[in-house]
Amino acid sequence: MAQETQTRIRALATRRAFLTRFASGIFASLIVPAVASGVLDQVEAAPQEGAGPAPMPELPEGMNGQHPIERMLQDLQRALQKPVDQRRWAMVIDLRKCVGCYACTVACIAENKLPPGIAYRPVITETRGTYPNVSRRFIPRPCMQCENPPCVPVCPVRATWKRPDGIVVINYDQCIGCRYCITACPYAARSFDSGYFYSDFEGGLPQPYESLPSPEYGENRVRRKDTSPVGNVRKCHFCLHRIERGQLPACVLSCMGRATYFGDLNDPQSLVSELASRPNAFRLKEELGTEPKVFYLV
Amino acid sequence: MIATRKVSRRDFLKIAGASAGGLAAMAALGSGFRTLSAHEAQQQQEAGSRVVYTACVMCPAECGLEVHVENGVVSRIYGNIHVPYNSGTVCAKGISGLQLVYSVNRIKYPMIRVGERGEGRFKRVTWEEALDYIATKLIEIKQKYGPESVIMDCGDVTDRDPYYYLFRAFGTPHTVEHGSICDTPRRHGPKLMFGGKRIEPDIMRPVLVRQPDGSLKNDYSYRTRLIIYVGWNPFTATRINYESRGTVEARLAGARIIVIDPAFSNTATKADRWIPIRPGTDADLFAAMLRYILENHRDDDPFRRYIDWSFKEYSQGWEEFEAAFRSWWDKKDPLNGLPYFSLEWAADRTGIDAATIAELAHTFGITKPAALVWGMNGIGHHYNGYVASILGTALNVITGNMEVPGGAIDTELVKSSKGGKTSGGDFLKREVTRIVNGREVKGKIEELHMDGYGDWPAAWDDVVGDYPRRFIEGVTLRYGPFRGHHYPIKAYFIRTGNPVITGSNTQKWIEALTAKDESGNYKVELVVYIDTVFLETGLYADVILPEASSLERMSLSDIYPVHPVLYLRDFVIRPLYESKTPYEICWALARKLYEKGDPDIQPKDFWEKYPTEEDFWNEALKVAPGRPNTGEPLPYPNLPKGYKLLGTPDSLEAGRVQIDDEKKEIRGEPLTVQWLREHHGVAIWPMSWKRFHGGGVLQTDSKKVEFVWDYTVEKDGKIERKGRYSKYNKLIEEAGETPPGIARLGWQKYPATFYWFETRWNPYTNPDYAKYREEYPFQVISGRVHHAMSGTQMVDWLGRLPTEDLWAPLNDERIVEEVIIGENGPTPTGRRVRIPRGTWSIGVIQMNRADGERLGLKTGDLVELETPQGFKTRGKVYLVETIRPGVLRVPLGGGGRFSPGLGKTYVFHDITPNHNALVDPENLSPIMGQPAYGDVIVKIRKIG
Repeated sequence: MAQETQTRIRALATRRAFLTRFASGIFASLIVPAVASGVLDQVEAAPQEGAGPAPMPELPEGMNGQHPIERMLQDLQRALQKPVDQRRWAMVIDLRKCVGCYACTVACIAENKLPPGIAYRPVITETRGTYPNVSRRFIPRPCMQCENPPCVPVCPVRATWKRPDGIVVINYDQCIGCRYCITACPYAARSFDSGYFYSDFEGGLPQPYESLPSPEYGENRVRRKDTSPVGNVRKCHFCLHRIERGQLPACVLSCMGRATYFGDLNDPQSLVSELASRPNAFRLKEELGTEPKVFYLV
Repeated sequence: MIATRKVSRRDFLKIAGASAGGLAAMAALGSGFRTLSAHEAQQQQEAGSRVVYTACVMCPAECGLEVHVENGVVSRIYGNIHVPYNSGTVCAKGISGLQLVYSVNRIKYPMIRVGERGEGRFKRVTWEEALDYIATKLIEIKQKYGPESVIMDCGDVTDRDPYYYLFRAFGTPHTVEHGSICDTPRRHGPKLMFGGKRIEPDIMRPVLVRQPDGSLKNDYSYRTRLIIYVGWNPFTATRINYESRGTVEARLAGARIIVIDPAFSNTATKADRWIPIRPGTDADLFAAMLRYILENHRDDDPFRRYIDWSFKEYSQGWEEFEAAFRSWWDKKDPLNGLPYFSLEWAADRTGIDAATIAELAHTFGITKPAALVWGMNGIGHHYNGYVASILGTALNVITGNMEVPGGAIDTELVKSSKGGKTSGGDFLKREVTRIVNGREVKGKIEELHMDGYGDWPAAWDDVVGDYPRRFIEGVTLRYGPFRGHHYPIKAYFIRTGNPVITGSNTQKWIEALTAKDESGNYKVELVVYIDTVFLETGLYADVILPEASSLERMSLSDIYPVHPVLYLRDFVIRPLYESKTPYEICWALARKLYEKGDPDIQPKDFWEKYPTEEDFWNEALKVAPGRPNTGEPLPYPNLPKGYKLLGTPDSLEAGRVQIDDEKKEIRGEPLTVQWLREHHGVAIWPMSWKRFHGGGVLQTDSKKVEFVWDYTVEKDGKIERKGRYSKYNKLIEEAGETPPGIARLGWQKYPATFYWFETRWNPYTNPDYAKYREEYPFQVISGRVHHAMSGTQMVDWLGRLPTEDLWAPLNDERIVEEVIIGENGPTPTGRRVRIPRGTWSIGVIQMNRADGERLGLKTGDLVELETPQGFKTRGKVYLVETIRPGVLRVPLGGGGRFSPGLGKTYVFHDITPNHNALVDPENLSPIMGQPAYGDVIVKIRKIG
């Protein structure tokens, strides 16, 4: 089944077909219970990855609270029990806890095997004031996974769209690299893969970790000079391939300040629902009406 | 942790099922799990995808890692959530470990020098040839000059044990690591007064705590109300991993954070208050705080009850200390004419106004629990950092903050023990004979130590303070049985360290490593460089040995948790190229020495005793956790209080123990590598507080906090001399000779209690240097480069990331030719790459904007810094608002990097500042001899 899906995805060309395919989360979840849906069906068949959601880590029980990772994993498991269109993935970043360490930036690069020049989650530093009255803020900037993503309608080949669970994805085979979406994104969350490698000395061989397949979208592509995603636009997808396996995004796990939270906004019990409703939560460029699903706490 | 891969999964599930009920259930099951043989484990590891729990070594924080391997290639690195030290987090540096493993700049083969030292020309040899060369030379040196002519420097603290074991067996007392040269002044106070080292806030969460119902649970609560970080920047140093999440969490839970630092550090960004202090005046601030607290404390006023007198229950000598401290109050400072330690005096010197200092003292006195914490780039780098760390320790003690929940903890006293016999300490007790001034003298090997019995008798922990000078001048012992014995330094082994850039003045190091005698031979006859990466010191080596990277070797991590936690560094992949693990290198060299007839190396101590690497580390685990069953709540209420705990957490929990009343030891089942592998790589014993009471964990002579360091007690009618300084003072008295370091202060011996002296090269506090104020208007300090430390800057992911305002993409455009470390050392490949302007982070000189504008400078201008002694370095200025005027900050080890092994960072060595080019090589801090890296003044000149 997974094999078949894979072939089919590559063959699809029209947006309608895509929508049909990806709106069928309910359908997919009937066939492959709970876990896999959409483009990620293939995860099931990926040889290196375990089938089904990974077992919960055995974390000791909290006395005065709970390990935030444990809580978020439980939230994730609950969400994955639901059909895909009933999930609404969101991220909350507590700027009071971001220590500006770049662990998330680099964890994302390692997880998604990103080339030089591309960071899905850069950390923007903002310094204000004059000595001695200065302040500095670190603002991690993943893709906002907008409810109304301005990047989607501008795509001439419909290579990018919003999934039923809210994550904006890109079909690398479809993308022609025109970069309209890069211009359209008000958050500068999209970048172009120009084909650089860490061994970018002419004639250098790719580093071993660069030659491993990227787990992005569950496609396990090996990045080569002349094939997608080189020449395509790339962006953060909340580590969709991990979510669907019951794992948290790379940035959330690594965060040194434990400043990043992830979960299902449709679940009132989830940690992100709780945090996103706080009075000190805000979203970037709210006035544009993009309805980001990344919330910041200040 | 979430993804459990096929190989480990089978075992994992067994354990997972068994331990569903937590530790207690695990304990009930005992050690009944099926164990994999090393061979089986290896086989399983080779196949497909898997996860290995290990410990990082990208920096000495050594966080617990969960490393993913796909088809034999390390694919990604996450934090091990089972290790409470980092609790699943991992920094950018840790994640980048895999780039280091696969770096083209790795040393791949053993090599022997073919050109002159410093030229960087080598030829590839076999291990056999390399070890033969080393062993032959070592035996020759031993016969000619004695084994004490050999130094084994494990620059980095990690995995040093096999090297210590081998070289101590060989007969030299000179085994050193990073901890002995890095920041001794900052650790001095806790060492002297507690027998510890490192005071940190109680913010590691979770901590495993015994509950009233007898169960063990993880405590996530933050009780701290105030943390004052002085010259300590944990968000950037990342060394105490939990201080990143702990500080911000504690703050959200109601703690105030105050950062005192000349620069607006990343830690300062999250503080309630940043106080930019003048460099080198931390002791002044602490002294004024202590004076304020003593003068304004009122027992009957809850708003001024600063002192918690209960500290007297577990301390001694406070009265003497206080009297000595007060004796300064009437004296006037020759520079500003103000009484010592008064608010006005401190304000004049620190540049912080008197009201702020008073408020700081009051806030610290009144807010409990609190922690006063100081760091290496501040107090650790100044000539008088000793005074500051003693005062800081006293402040934490008298306010009642030590060892209370949410207060301050000396992690050195409470972390798990490891090592035991594998440190080779027993070898140092062997008796040897030397001819001194024509007389045959007997003594122990340790009494030949170049510092401890030479110029620096207080150089505990094998400190080697007076390094490069001894290479040129040799050693003359002043103290102990071998007084008068002279010997040269003839062999220098440097392993995972880079003293040419990080160990005092660079030029002095180069001179020492290249100095020749009259016959044209190098004075230091053998220099061996052992590392995974090729740093500057490697350029001066005769032999280069490739050491396995941190993901390719085994050992243990204990680091700085607030209670005993010990975790395994495990083989993730096999050593790449021809590299070998420390154990393999040392055992192979031992075999070679034995074959060549070295009488000190015996099979019974090496391959017969520890035939496998795992055997060696199992020995090191025998002493764990090695801390007393003490404090509240008592870790093991069913076991005798005060007895030393040994063995696995589950055996202690289940009471499967032997109790030795004579030795006061509780021995559970010994902890092993296998046990750790079965428990996510980590052993965790319970936390408790109030561990200073009743002796507890204190390691002073009196088992109390000591405010007096040379005192007498009467025992069985005999008068005994006690206190940490008494040992050194006895040596001084016997020899009738004062160590030069303290003679310079006008002292005869080490003071029995509180002392004060000024830092050097500080025109604002030390009258001797006041004359330089006008001509040399800038003080130079150093900061940590975020993730890229001295040995990780070739890592591309890190090279690009900016750090504070120290490491920024101010590069000009360069066409770079790739250099790899090949069969002949650094080898250009002819492949080129263009690094566009502004895309690569380089070390810069952080400067206050107003200062720069006054001098007509703008960001990116190339300037030269020059000290009164004529030492120079150059770099680009970065004008910012984030630093105190009159202060320049440069990255330590972040510039002037002239080893081609540094990757793309190397090409910018001509426009980046080397802090150690400026450091006065004679400015060794007086007690233990550490270079005072932070006492530097310069003038500045624009050159481009």
